[in-house]
Amino acid sequence: MPSTVRHAAGGMAVPIGSVVFAFLVGGVIVAATGGDPLSAYAGLLCGGFGLACANGENTALQLSTTIVFFIPLIMTGVAVALPFRAGLFNIGAEGQLLAGSVACTVIGVKFNTLPAPILLPMVLVGGALAGALWAGIAGVLKATIGAHEVVTTIMLNYVAQWLVRFLIVGGPLQLPHGFSVSSPIGAGARLPTFLPNDNSLIIFGLPAGVYRVHTGLLIALAALAVFAFLLWRTSLGYEIRAVGQSQRAARYAGINVPRTIIVTMLIAGAFSGLAGAIQIAGVDHNLSDKFFNDTTGFDAIAVALLGLGSAVGILLASILFGALHAGGSVMQADAGISSSLVQVLQALILFSIAANFLRVLGGRFRRRPAAPASQAPGAALMTEAAKAPPGDGQT
Amino acid sequence: MSTSARDSNAVEMRGITKAWPGVVANDHVDLSVRAGEIHALVGENGAGKSTLMNILYGLIHSDSGEIVINGKSARISGPRDAIGLGIGMVHQHFMLIPVFTVGENIMLGREPVAGPGFYDHSRARKEIEELTRKYGLRLDPDARTGDLPVGLQQRAEIVKVLYRGANILVLDEPTGVLTPQETKELFVVLKGLVKEGKTIIFISHKLREVLEISDRITVMRRGKVVGHLITRETDEQAIATMMVGRAVLLRVDKKPATPGPVTFKVENLTATSDRGVPALRGISFELRQGEILGIAGVEGNGQSELVEVLAGTRRATGGRVLLGDQDVTAASAREEREAGVGHIPEDRRGVGLVLHFSVAENLFFGRERSPAFAWHEIVLRLRAILQWANRLIKEFDIRTPSIETQASALSGGNQQKIIVAREMGSRPKVLLAAQPTRGVDVGSIEFIHRRLVAERDEGTAVLLVSAELEEVTSLSDRIAVMYEGRIVSIEPSGTSEERLGLLMTGGGTGAGAA
Repeated sequence: MPSTVRHAAGGMAVPIGSVVFAFLVGGVIVAATGGDPLSAYAGLLCGGFGLACANGENTALQLSTTIVFFIPLIMTGVAVALPFRAGLFNIGAEGQLLAGSVACTVIGVKFNTLPAPILLPMVLVGGALAGALWAGIAGVLKATIGAHEVVTTIMLNYVAQWLVRFLIVGGPLQLPHGFSVSSPIGAGARLPTFLPNDNSLIIFGLPAGVYRVHTGLLIALAALAVFAFLLWRTSLGYEIRAVGQSQRAARYAGINVPRTIIVTMLIAGAFSGLAGAIQIAGVDHNLSDKFFNDTTGFDAIAVALLGLGSAVGILLASILFGALHAGGSVMQADAGISSSLVQVLQALILFSIAANFLRVLGGRFRRRPAAPASQAPGAALMTEAAKAPPGDGQT
Repeated sequence: MSTSARDSNAVEMRGITKAWPGVVANDHVDLSVRAGEIHALVGENGAGKSTLMNILYGLIHSDSGEIVINGKSARISGPRDAIGLGIGMVHQHFMLIPVFTVGENIMLGREPVAGPGFYDHSRARKEIEELTRKYGLRLDPDARTGDLPVGLQQRAEIVKVLYRGANILVLDEPTGVLTPQETKELFVVLKGLVKEGKTIIFISHKLREVLEISDRITVMRRGKVVGHLITRETDEQAIATMMVGRAVLLRVDKKPATPGPVTFKVENLTATSDRGVPALRGISFELRQGEILGIAGVEGNGQSELVEVLAGTRRATGGRVLLGDQDVTAASAREEREAGVGHIPEDRRGVGLVLHFSVAENLFFGRERSPAFAWHEIVLRLRAILQWANRLIKEFDIRTPSIETQASALSGGNQQKIIVAREMGSRPKVLLAAQPTRGVDVGSIEFIHRRLVAERDEGTAVLLVSAELEEVTSLSDRIAVMYEGRIVSIEPSGTSEERLGLLMTGGGTGAGAA
């Protein structure tokens, strides 16, 4: 069996090259707008990993923030990467995440008196089911009438976003005092943080309550393991990969292609929905207007591509993106450079993977004939996903 | 060969070398083709024939070497140069636009113009008529190209090349898609062209045709020229040995069949094609254990659909299929496989394999939920898969660097052996073999043929569908001829190719049946 390790190592050059490229171009942009690229990147490094901090930021706190950011990225990254393997482009991780958040909030508020051993599984499972349902709509449409999943998942994102808006702006979940927030979920629905929420306890020089790293981290890591196991060690994963490579071959093999598409989307949606539930249960504890501007599910596309659709790659890419998010505010404060640079860097990374032009540049110098497997895996994932026509036009 | 012939050489390629990373496709290749001869270039897949011809046509640039055309040193940096030198290429896959008329296709890119930007229809027609008359190539310039049989499409392609002023014609595997009759007609055409002073380079791996049509033969193996032969002084066995590098068994060595009871029964089966038109119009036959029933027919007469219906990937619209006493008419591909139907599909790369999967993964394709390879249809049994793959690789002589290698990295012959191994390895009761040796090298053909016969001898009922009439006649114990979705006749194994060819084109059922 091709090991995850081999898959991760095989194409490392492209993602690393893309990141280096993004930082170089980002540096040029910073310099061109009168900033100092080095201090900008020092700010990112400090904010992301607590290293080389100029203004005495707390290393442990920065790391904690990065981890909180990357937990949902891992989950949604998986939710994008799994359908990629089946030749499906799941742009809807954001909508699925919101569906999970809403379900978690509704259950967590409604049954807020239940004890944690009952309520916590309820909100997590509820979130996963809601996400699965949300993605399942796109899966069923794709498998039955051939509606392209890119279109349907994007539309479902809008539906979910406006649904959240409706629920907490004058809707049934809004608290009466006028703010766009829901009631907090019950104490039993909250994922515990690793450190006690006790401000009299001083850890790494700060009260323990400020470290928000929560046990959702374990769920995210478990999700990665499940993803890798599913893909490489199960019959279903084998079928998902076969469908992604060639629907005609899959049909010849006797694989039920429509069913595989639906199941893949259900599983992916469950990962995303669980990410949303974890975000509520572990960090926010209520649905708020902050979710209006959430981009986790979109960043997940970049995570999945940068991570080449492998478990290890998704972990590394999530850490990078989580660190960028956490680092943005420190960079803004320390180096005076807008945290929007983070979005620019992220876009550049994605751009360079998608355009696959590092490989093209390399080819210029070496003048190789196009070998069959020379396509960058990231780009290959994208083109595969993009070219799979609805229903394959065969049936 | 006397060296004084040099001046009369139409094409002279000397010391052509072309290396790709990891392979030398052409290693100091010398080729000399005399003006006015038919020169056959033979060799297995990957021997470097196509590379050499693509260099001649300017599609590929050689690393070193010299090309002399009609006694003059030539620099060919693209097809334009080649065409300018009078070199024309008829590709294996036609470069014709199906919705255009034959005339439009021939003119394409060189349309005669009347006034500013107007296509001179009547002049085009006149020029084509002149050309076809001169070479005896009957062709209707107003026919829609897509409606023509393959043989006529090929003829249009030849006329197109002639229209562009070609004196040296390169034909890449021209008979691969033709019926025996069409092949004969093509040969008449080629001989006519030579009589008119054209020079022809004929690429093929079908040795009998090469012997029939060519004047001289250049044999290539692994990028090198291994022999220059004069056709009338050689024979099939000698060429094959040269091509493969060892003695090859050309005739399939088989004992007479000892058919057992009927295991597979097809009754009045009907089905439609992808385009929704009837493809099978009532097919009935019986298949016995331990026999090979060959299906002969021009491609597109329902053979593909028949195999697909029997394998469960296409739905029957009527009729019955019985495996033993089990009705498998409506069975899915998986159910067919579980019931004991093995299927070697005709499209190796698109259907039979997942090219980006490893050899090991391809060797249990379609069986990923069977108890042997998966625990409760959930978790794959990696150790069992590994053992299975290693066993089949050894047993079927699949040449692969490792079981982890992607199938796409293997040669066509070894890719086909993966499929053959997988489908035979699970001991089917019925084996559907569609074009089992298409595009496969001579060594692998020999191997696959031997395995098919061995499978028969072990009691499997084999249905063999092949566009290669020779393959059908040499392997089959009975031959069913398909024409327009029907089986027009079931013939004994000794039937002549002439008779089969006649049946394949819709004739012969009346007169010859006696």
